[in-house]
Amino acid sequence: MSKWQSDYASRTGDTVTYGAVGSGAGIEQITARTVDFGASDAPMTSDQLSACKGCIQVPWSLGAVVPAYNLSGAPNNLKLTGQVLAEIYLGNVTAWNDPAIAKLNPGVSLPSTKITPVYRTDGSGDTYAFTDYLSHVSPEFDSTVGTATEVKFPIGVGGNGSDGVAASVSKTDGAIGYLTIAYVNSNGFNYALLQNAAGNYPKATIPAINAAAATAKSVPPSGVSIVDPPASAKNAWPDSTFTYVIVPTSTDKADALKKFITYALGAGQSFAEGLGYGTLPKQVVSDSKAALNKVDSS
Amino acid sequence: MTTESAAASLGPALSGRRRGILDRFGDRGLYLITLAAAIGSVVILGGLTYKVIDEASSAISSYGLGFLTTSNWDPVHEQFGAAQLLYGTAVSSFGALLLATPLSIAIALFLTELAPRGTRTPIATLVELLAGIPSVILGLWGILVLGPAMQSTIEPALHSALGWIPVIGSLFGGEYGIVGLFPAIVILTIMTVPIVSSLTREIFTTVPPTAKEGALALGGTRWEMIKTVVLPYSRPGIVAAVMLGLGRAVGEAIAVSQVIGGAPGIHANLFLPAQSAAGQIAAQYLGATGPATAALAYLAVILLLLSVVFNAMARILVRAVQQRASQT
Repeated sequence: MSKWQSDYASRTGDTVTYGAVGSGAGIEQITARTVDFGASDAPMTSDQLSACKGCIQVPWSLGAVVPAYNLSGAPNNLKLTGQVLAEIYLGNVTAWNDPAIAKLNPGVSLPSTKITPVYRTDGSGDTYAFTDYLSHVSPEFDSTVGTATEVKFPIGVGGNGSDGVAASVSKTDGAIGYLTIAYVNSNGFNYALLQNAAGNYPKATIPAINAAAATAKSVPPSGVSIVDPPASAKNAWPDSTFTYVIVPTSTDKADALKKFITYALGAGQSFAEGLGYGTLPKQVVSDSKAALNKVDSS
Repeated sequence: MTTESAAASLGPALSGRRRGILDRFGDRGLYLITLAAAIGSVVILGGLTYKVIDEASSAISSYGLGFLTTSNWDPVHEQFGAAQLLYGTAVSSFGALLLATPLSIAIALFLTELAPRGTRTPIATLVELLAGIPSVILGLWGILVLGPAMQSTIEPALHSALGWIPVIGSLFGGEYGIVGLFPAIVILTIMTVPIVSSLTREIFTTVPPTAKEGALALGGTRWEMIKTVVLPYSRPGIVAAVMLGLGRAVGEAIAVSQVIGGAPGIHANLFLPAQSAAGQIAAQYLGATGPATAALAYLAVILLLLSVVFNAMARILVRAVQQRASQT
């Protein structure tokens, strides 16, 4: 977002002011129309959409969450399934040499270190993407924890912000915590590979994130989830997620908003890869642009 | 400036016939500006209280007092109970004051009675500078520096020294982590010591020198003078200082939320992660929606009430000290 701001200003001379206040507050402010647009890491619920009266939400960036871990005596890129990851965060799998993990990593000698799951205590899009994925692959996780930006994990240690999670993971032997791939790459953490529906263990590279996004054939008003994509996407990273921009369909700044968001969906995407984000698939961009046409001056 | 020269320099200004427009309205202007400032602070406090209670009203009516006794904070299933948050707040704040009070009294005694005169002001300034460290910096230091030391050295040492004692030993259980109640207690201690010690120091300086000299003249040692004169005379004041420190500890959000570990649960072991009420508000308010927002506002109402109680108690005790001071 800050990259877009500065680049857009230098291209057009227009200033976009953006305050990072958290998704909940952002949704509240756009609902009250105290801001011209909002951005959210999680799609608005149907209740929030109807409260926002004539708002639309369109995907405008694409990221991925990965399970980073710190385990002395273990190599990078251990293999996990979503099921096992859910069991870890439910407290059913508690040691790194648990047969469920050993079975997925033949030939790797796993220490008996206790697993310490680490999660975000503050409201976070990372938590949304992570719980959305685990809820898709584990009915038990779905019913006991559920999907949201703020949830109650039955066990583990909380960290405030990505830095809090990263600190706990890096200082605790046996810890596992979810972070964006961008954060993990820039801090050199180990992360576990997740098995996708096709049975493969791709790395969370830009092509793997893009492959997951490409499974979004259309973008309904309620947003679209691309976690646990179908087996047809052979090399898709299974925990990828869109973030959204929320705009009112009737606003006196319609032209300026359309111009900025069109930029973000077009030229703005060129920054994504360098920052560790995916690029929006063509289908999503054209759907987003079509939805944007509904925005009009009041 | 002596009184005479002050009067001399004021003289022309006051007796001069040509009073400027500003001066003519000076009295009234001063009155209005100070009145506005005073009313402003009352209005802000009132508005703030109203807004917090208003936002909390739906949570207060739907959870009632059960909010205080249940311990399940689950935004997804819209169940909110604050017992574990209040437990974390209580343990971390009282634990911090248990450490900070003797430390602060020691610092204040040293600075008023024992330290060489030339070193008193510099040391006092340094201690007060501690209060100026932004809490988010202390919190980061807490996880990056203090936490690992806690986990590898301090907590195991405490466990082997105290863990065997019945009942109390359960506070120092055999599981260690870089975040938890104990790191929160230490961080809060660091944050409350400057407040409590500087207030205590002020109180010690109000002890009449004649009383102290009397004790020394009767053949008392310096320790006996402190024990029989300084401490008894200052006791209500020290309690008031501790109350203000408690208010600070209970309300501290950012640093605590960084080091306390944010895991729900009520357990005796201080080395395990917990949650605190203020930390919960700081971490979750911005991302919260609907019922979660109301529940967090309910928590804020409880914290507001607690701070009113602590401040009132401190005020009453300070008044007792002042009355006694005016009697001597």
